[in-house]
Amino acid sequence: MLIEQLINGITLGSIYAIVALGFTLVFGVLGIVNMGHGEIFMFGAFIGVLVTTTFGLPLWLAFLAAIIVTAFMGYLLERFALRPLRNHQGSNHLAPLISTIGVSIFLENLSHHLFGPGNHPFRTPFAEMSIEIGSVTVYLVQIVIFVISLILMAALSFWLGKTKAGKALRAVAENLETASLLGVDTKKYITLTVILASAMGGIAGILVGMAFNAVTPQMGLSMGLKGLAIIILGGMGNVKGAMVGGLILGLAETFIVVYGDSGYRDAIAFIAIIVILLVRPQGLFGQKTSDVRR
Amino acid sequence: MVLEIKKVSKNFGGLSALTDVSFSINKGEIFGLIGPNGAGKTTMFNLVTSIFPTSSGDIIFKGEKINELKPHLITEKGICRTFQNIRLFPQMTTVENVMVGVHSRSSSGVLKSVFRPKSQRQEEEGIKVKSQDLLKFVGLEGYEEVVAENLSYGQQRRLEIARAMASDPELLLLDEPAAGMNETETEDLFQLIKRIQQKGITVLLIEHDMPLVMNLCDRIAVLNFGVKIAEGTPKEIQDNPEVIEAYLGREEDELDA
Amino acid sequence: MLAELINPYYLQVGSFMLINIILGISMYITLSTGQLSLANAGFMGIGAYTSALLTIHFSLPIPVGVVIGAIFAGLLGIVVGLPTLRLKGVFLAIVTLGFGEVIRVIFVNWESLTKGSVGLSGIPHMGRELLKTVKELGFEPKMLGLQNNQFIFMAIFLILLVIVIFVIWFFKRQNDSRIGRAFSAIKLDEQAAESMGINITYYKVLAFAQGALLSGFAGALFAHMLGYISPADFAYHKAIDILIFAVLGGSEVIWGPAFGAFFLTLLPEVLRFISEYRYMIYGVIIVVMMVVRPQGLIDLNVVKWIKRKTTRRGLKNGTGN
Repeated sequence: MLIEQLINGITLGSIYAIVALGFTLVFGVLGIVNMGHGEIFMFGAFIGVLVTTTFGLPLWLAFLAAIIVTAFMGYLLERFALRPLRNHQGSNHLAPLISTIGVSIFLENLSHHLFGPGNHPFRTPFAEMSIEIGSVTVYLVQIVIFVISLILMAALSFWLGKTKAGKALRAVAENLETASLLGVDTKKYITLTVILASAMGGIAGILVGMAFNAVTPQMGLSMGLKGLAIIILGGMGNVKGAMVGGLILGLAETFIVVYGDSGYRDAIAFIAIIVILLVRPQGLFGQKTSDVRR
Repeated sequence: MVLEIKKVSKNFGGLSALTDVSFSINKGEIFGLIGPNGAGKTTMFNLVTSIFPTSSGDIIFKGEKINELKPHLITEKGICRTFQNIRLFPQMTTVENVMVGVHSRSSSGVLKSVFRPKSQRQEEEGIKVKSQDLLKFVGLEGYEEVVAENLSYGQQRRLEIARAMASDPELLLLDEPAAGMNETETEDLFQLIKRIQQKGITVLLIEHDMPLVMNLCDRIAVLNFGVKIAEGTPKEIQDNPEVIEAYLGREEDELDA
Repeated sequence: MLAELINPYYLQVGSFMLINIILGISMYITLSTGQLSLANAGFMGIGAYTSALLTIHFSLPIPVGVVIGAIFAGLLGIVVGLPTLRLKGVFLAIVTLGFGEVIRVIFVNWESLTKGSVGLSGIPHMGRELLKTVKELGFEPKMLGLQNNQFIFMAIFLILLVIVIFVIWFFKRQNDSRIGRAFSAIKLDEQAAESMGINITYYKVLAFAQGALLSGFAGALFAHMLGYISPADFAYHKAIDILIFAVLGGSEVIWGPAFGAFFLTLLPEVLRFISEYRYMIYGVIIVVMMVVRPQGLIDLNVVKWIKRKTTRRGLKNGTGN
């Protein structure tokens, strides 16, 4: 019982971590909180439902389709809701936050019209496969989710830290103007960042659909809110922090359902961040930013 | 003594911006703080006005330790400043900018501000008159209703001085007030700072315009790489070999710019 | 004659409009210090539930319930504001959004008190209570040629109208004072404001608490206007509604969010087909406004322009007479 709950918690936490990675990537590079990320994630899940359940096509095709669609949505989001704001200088620092809220509310209601409200089941034979270890049942999906989240985290860390593109991205993150003076094509890298983050959201969407066998237009909002909570928990723009923050939240939620009052599950994330903000405003893993930077 | 800087150091993430700097400023004098770019002058201003905490050392204003106070309390104690890269409230009018400066010397709260008893109306009138007087003092008469961002560069610098003076400071910190000014404007500024001194206000000045500094200041301290390398009268500073070395080591033209 | 003009439906729409104007202004006050708070829907809920529960269980008169509800929301604003307002803008937005969620979760789960997601009903109704009182004093709506129904909706509308006028007057006066200057100095340059002697924490918490108080006030009025409330009335979508009043109308001057609330309450009533696509349209409006006119439709220049127009017309009329 305990071990199964532990596994459930880790699975949930891994999903949260993948969603949070998308937020972290965009925040780390652009200094922007992309409120539309949760809805892009939700679209990824719906693409999965369409491909596997509606058209009965194989799962790998669902992943491919979700990645393509969400990456394209990321491009559109950057092109229409973020890039125009960068161009007129001196505009309010809240503008990108508010415009991505606009995107999120648009996408949520678009999905209501496209897919209809309510629960959409996500049927794939893969989701039913499980292995028994002693008295404990582990679903294959759970292992896959955990592994994928680790791979994504490692890949992202490597890509940001070791590759040329990653270095360029960090230059952009450090200072947009300097980066463009150094000859970094900032527009390209910003677009790439948003696209990448969105595609990761799409992957997370399918994984969640499989794990819970349910996809709804509202899931983007609740997952988005939790992703935001996690990046505050783990430290804004911190890849490891997003992973650990996600796992902590996933476990906490799972155990409050088992040992506490399940109704309050959705409130934990925010109670946690309010506490964190009081005690350690830079997040669990965030660097204490020197006062000079902003 | 108005201000005492006692062995003040400041580190930013391992990099030391100031190391064990000490000097003190007497009441009524104009004190210059000079040094090559990056020597830590503006950092010193930010420490005095508590924008950053000091890493070690004390800052004493009129016998009271102030380096753990919040910035707005520093202003209340009687220290106010201008900024190197002008930081007016750009969309406010000129007179509104100065009126904000009077904030710490006025007291009407929410209810008084809304229901406006006589005391509030008098205070508000006083703020307005004082602000207009200050604009006249810095030579911005007639610009009261102009939006600050539409003023010329030199005018914006003077408006910043008026705004800082609105808080009735005993010590006024001016961060490169002559930057970007032409010769006539600089001459006007010289006269303005002299007149500020005549009002009994002590001035701490950061400036790169050496003729201005040498003519204006009673005493000068020189910083280089965060360390004080000299202190004395303008004459002493000009003859100090270490100072000449520090400047020649960098850009040659800075000393006589 | 009068009786035919007084259509309860129009009055109802008008009353919603007035409540929304108060909510728009609550957003504006917090924004006037440069802080984006998305908690106003939550505070609205706090005010609504507090007043509703007090009037139901303790039979307090409605005005007392409303005032306590508003004050309680304001106090909670101070409690939430103090720790969070030390944070930069983006954090504040997220934390306040989360706060709204926590409030909603509590409303849904504290069933013994709040009746869960079904919500509270049987809340004393402003209009009916007033009718009862005036009837006891020997007044009958028929004396004005009105039906009871018309009297009720008319009374609500007028009460709200007076309240809205007072709220606008109050915050316009505050804005045009030492307090208002401190608010806008903080909005324009926080660090410079602090260096000019403004206690930025105090004023940010003040603005946040005023916003909370006003949202709570609007919520309490809402509860007694409808007579029933549920957690869904104060959820994320309400927060977005309030946000868009300020985004579309503008947050530079108080008339901006008031206009936004007026216009966006009217729009779905006039153009029926819009209501189905309402939030999609809202989403597009938000993005377009941020790109094209981030200060909102009504900014300082528009107000000046209108003033010039109206004074000129006034002069013309003057000479005509």
